[in-house]
Amino acid sequence: MCLLVGTHKGAFIFTSGPDRKNWKVSGPHLKGNDIYHMAYDRRTGAVLASIVSGHWGPTVARSEDLGDSWKESSTPPKFPKGSGLSVARLWQIKPASEDEPGVVYAGVEPACLFRSEDWGKTWKVNEALMNHKTRKKWQPGGGGLCLHTILVNPKRPRRVHVAISAVGTLRTDDGGESWRFQNKNVLADFHPKKYPEYGQCVHKLAINPSAPDVIYHQNHCGVYRSDDAGDSWVDIRNNLPSRFGFPAAADANNPKRAYMAPLEGDFSRIPPDGHFAVWGTDNRGKEWFKLDDGLPVKSYYTVLRDGMVADMEDPCGLYFGTTTGQLFSSRDQGNHWERITDSLPPILSVSVSAT
Amino acid sequence: MIRVRLTAQLKDLAKGAREVELDSADDLGTMVRKLDTSFPGIGGRIVDDQGKIRAHVNVFVNSENSRELGREKTKLRDGDVVHILPAVSGG
Repeated sequence: MCLLVGTHKGAFIFTSGPDRKNWKVSGPHLKGNDIYHMAYDRRTGAVLASIVSGHWGPTVARSEDLGDSWKESSTPPKFPKGSGLSVARLWQIKPASEDEPGVVYAGVEPACLFRSEDWGKTWKVNEALMNHKTRKKWQPGGGGLCLHTILVNPKRPRRVHVAISAVGTLRTDDGGESWRFQNKNVLADFHPKKYPEYGQCVHKLAINPSAPDVIYHQNHCGVYRSDDAGDSWVDIRNNLPSRFGFPAAADANNPKRAYMAPLEGDFSRIPPDGHFAVWGTDNRGKEWFKLDDGLPVKSYYTVLRDGMVADMEDPCGLYFGTTTGQLFSSRDQGNHWERITDSLPPILSVSVSAT
Repeated sequence: MIRVRLTAQLKDLAKGAREVELDSADDLGTMVRKLDTSFPGIGGRIVDDQGKIRAHVNVFVNSENSRELGREKTKLRDGDVVHILPAVSGG
């Protein structure tokens, strides 16, 4: 099992045996760079990293030896000349399914999707999204106009969901040739229409790989679930202490189970009552319960949108990293937490080899 | 001949070379494109997607900052020495 941790100062790779108990760390790799996201490509065993350098701009790097050496893309994600657009930051990087060897997706700011067909060495822009008819009306969220989440349907590889702040969720069913918004019933209470076609501030989507029509959704203005691959959404905030938060995770072994990390709303963005906790549900969000055994009683942790992830083991393992450098794991669906380390740079993302 | 001196962060993309020689290049933009042809990926670290020198990268031609010359359109001549350096960061 590998835990890939992207930080403000480089990448760290934690490895453990199947027990997920004892972790060895290497890093920082790609030292000094913001690592917005990393992905383990199960098809090859390679690790991919989204790099953003304050000086040298964004690129993708790939390692075939778990971080001992890295090779940058020869043609990194880059908008075409004349588009007037330039990639400012790289967000999520996502290998496609086994049915599409070589295919990897990357989301960028300003919001767009890039696709590689050679395992991340060279990249091409998704023209349909770059030239989307509504693009000129897209507004950035607080984190920028970023395409931060990519979900590839494992059963239908040409179906891809993307989430853009603050534009909302879009889906393609034809491999990216066309996109349609999927924001039905999702509130945008900062918008005069409240339920517009687009303009929602989606923070994170989490898909269940065994039941990919089920998607959990943490939004700026609510917590939602879709049972129809994003065609419509149901409000599932219910007894959560807040509708606001950033990360979301789905339990691969149980489509009824998901995890959120609520924060007090919009303007403070701190954990409710000064106590960070993950909240879980066993019944698709009808009821939520606090998962905080092993977490500090008082903690003002901030976990960013890519800072929490679930593995695919049974029972499900959960992991989160904070902007103050703590990395926690749970081997039992969040019922008990253990601190892996307390001393990393600000953590931007946590990924796991088995997702 | 134009000599291009690379900073440590860029040399890994140039197969470890700290200095690269180009037969010719009309201007800095052309020079970056030629560098990228020889060492794929290096160009995007120096200029953005639209070919503009990145905000925190300085390109000097014979010790003159190209921002005070013609930026990417700065003309180059035989014998010029170009330094590509990160801008100073911090306070």
